[in-house]
Amino acid sequence: MCGIAYQAVGYYYRYPDYAALTVVTSEAVLFVIIASMISYFIEKIRLGETRYRSIFEHSQLGIALFGRTDFIISQTNTRFLSMLDYSPEEVIGKPFLSLCLTSRDKERFLEKIGKSDATENFETRLATKSGAGYWVNLSWNRVDDATISCTAVNINGRKIAEKLNNDNMMKYSQLTENSPNGILLIQHDSIRFSNPSFSGLTGYGKNELAGKNLADFVDPRDKDEFIEFAKHWSEHKPVHGEKEIRFMTKNGDVRLAALTANSILHLEKPATMINIVDISEKQRLSDKIHEDNERRRGIIVTVAHELRTPLQPILGYLNLLISDPEGFGIVEDTKKILERCLVSVDRERQIINQMLDLSVLDSGKLQLSYSTFQLEPLVKSLLDTGGYLTKAEVTVDIPESVTMTADKDRIYSVIDSLLSNAVSYSKPPRKINIHYSSETDDLYHHISVKDNGIGIEQNAISSIFEPFQLADSAKLSRRYDRIGLSLSIAKKVVQMHSGDISVNSAVNTGSTFTINLPKEMKNAS
Amino acid sequence: MPHKIMLIEDDRPILDMMEILLKRIGYEPILVPDVLDALKQVKENPPSLILLDIMMTPINGWEFLDKLRGEYGQKDIPVLLFTASPSVEEKIAELNDSRLGVLQKPVSIIELKAGLEKFLAK
Repeated sequence: MCGIAYQAVGYYYRYPDYAALTVVTSEAVLFVIIASMISYFIEKIRLGETRYRSIFEHSQLGIALFGRTDFIISQTNTRFLSMLDYSPEEVIGKPFLSLCLTSRDKERFLEKIGKSDATENFETRLATKSGAGYWVNLSWNRVDDATISCTAVNINGRKIAEKLNNDNMMKYSQLTENSPNGILLIQHDSIRFSNPSFSGLTGYGKNELAGKNLADFVDPRDKDEFIEFAKHWSEHKPVHGEKEIRFMTKNGDVRLAALTANSILHLEKPATMINIVDISEKQRLSDKIHEDNERRRGIIVTVAHELRTPLQPILGYLNLLISDPEGFGIVEDTKKILERCLVSVDRERQIINQMLDLSVLDSGKLQLSYSTFQLEPLVKSLLDTGGYLTKAEVTVDIPESVTMTADKDRIYSVIDSLLSNAVSYSKPPRKINIHYSSETDDLYHHISVKDNGIGIEQNAISSIFEPFQLADSAKLSRRYDRIGLSLSIAKKVVQMHSGDISVNSAVNTGSTFTINLPKEMKNAS
Repeated sequence: MPHKIMLIEDDRPILDMMEILLKRIGYEPILVPDVLDALKQVKENPPSLILLDIMMTPINGWEFLDKLRGEYGQKDIPVLLFTASPSVEEKIAELNDSRLGVLQKPVSIIELKAGLEKFLAK
């Protein structure tokens, strides 16, 4: 303004003409206006540039400007530099292509930018200063004929997670591909992974299963039970044991499977690994075995009934005749014959009863009736009733104080079987010893029956408790006319008491059978 | 007076033999070969004890027992199931009837006598 005033005063002195002064003054005023406007616009441009610079510098997006043809980077913002850990000097003036991680990444970039100056969401890896890969999502636009503005969004975290997921899936796949069991990975109630065996079980492909709720494949009859089971793992509670669940296959069949669940971490978050064993076939066989056993038991029961019924008149009449031989005019020799008939009838009755006992034991339907009793009187009563004292020299080493809790009648039968066995497989002079032993801290009663009989070959010992197995069966059954059921029954009865029978034997010296019964009966009531 | 023992049994040989056996051990047998007549006979000639076969037609021993105890209200007459069928104990336990027991065929004269005495004493 001072300059304009000075110029106006200068004009006035050089050309002291009012008209000229007016012209000069008008020119000066116009000049001032134009100068003010220029100044205003310059200020405006300066403010705009500052704003642009501020946005450029503070953007959360990485921004780089590079040449359209040579890709030389002319400018970047701080965010772009910090993503890749470079300083401005290390990037400015270098081609953008030099930031691509691999030659393949470079090729993809060139291919993409060659097609268009304006691109969105191009995912690629740039190299950080240390040479590591860094995933970015690039979008670019042409700023002018010579410049491209490119923004870079950080997607490194997401890409790493995706890769980890893919790596995990690959790992799961490798680990479970050949597993005969179905294996599922469940997270947030959705199937994240399934192996080929589970697809084989259900008929659904991997992609049909992915993202679905496992409950969608459960047989409606088992759905409630399954939901209850699944509640544990969805709440990340420990899941113990296995659950049998029926699944519906794609073609409408039902498959039974045993499920076990384990908590794991998948992508650092809680997930559940489910192991699924197809037990349909096992169940079918088990049902078949059960059915066959029931049928066999039915046959045995019917046969037993049919065999027992005709024995009743025979036994009754023999009893009548033998009880009053004079009354029926029977001579002594005839009476002896009738007595032998009676022994045979009694033996047949025993065999039928043993067959029935065994079938009941096999069916698992036998209920033990527990009571607490003294052992010594039981054994004495058995020796007396069974007539063993007339058949052998029997010694009993059982303290009077010994009491036990067990099914008294069944234990009576077990000891009876062992005594009968001792008598049957020995010759006079028979010697039988019944011995009890147990220490205070011993959890078991040990009742042994020792004989001086023919003994058992070592290789036959394991089979003597099998039904209808006699060691050297043909020879022995001829010699003793017996079938081998009693030991099998005795063993099963003792096993029902959670005990066992062991045997020690030496050929031509004798055998010792020992009943080992727990002192505390878990199921006793 | 000897105890009257009613034997409901459709097997004739057993019935004939049991008649002699029961008499021999001091009882008065009432023989009923047809189970359908049994309920009428129980009413007309009440026995001290009933020996009851199970596998009979047209109604079996269990059905007879059900009628005897239920429809006919004869809850006090002791009944011994006289059967060759195994595994009746389970069903007996289910019925929870203190006046119900079992004698497994074939029984010897000693077992029959002991069984009857024990049950009549209850």
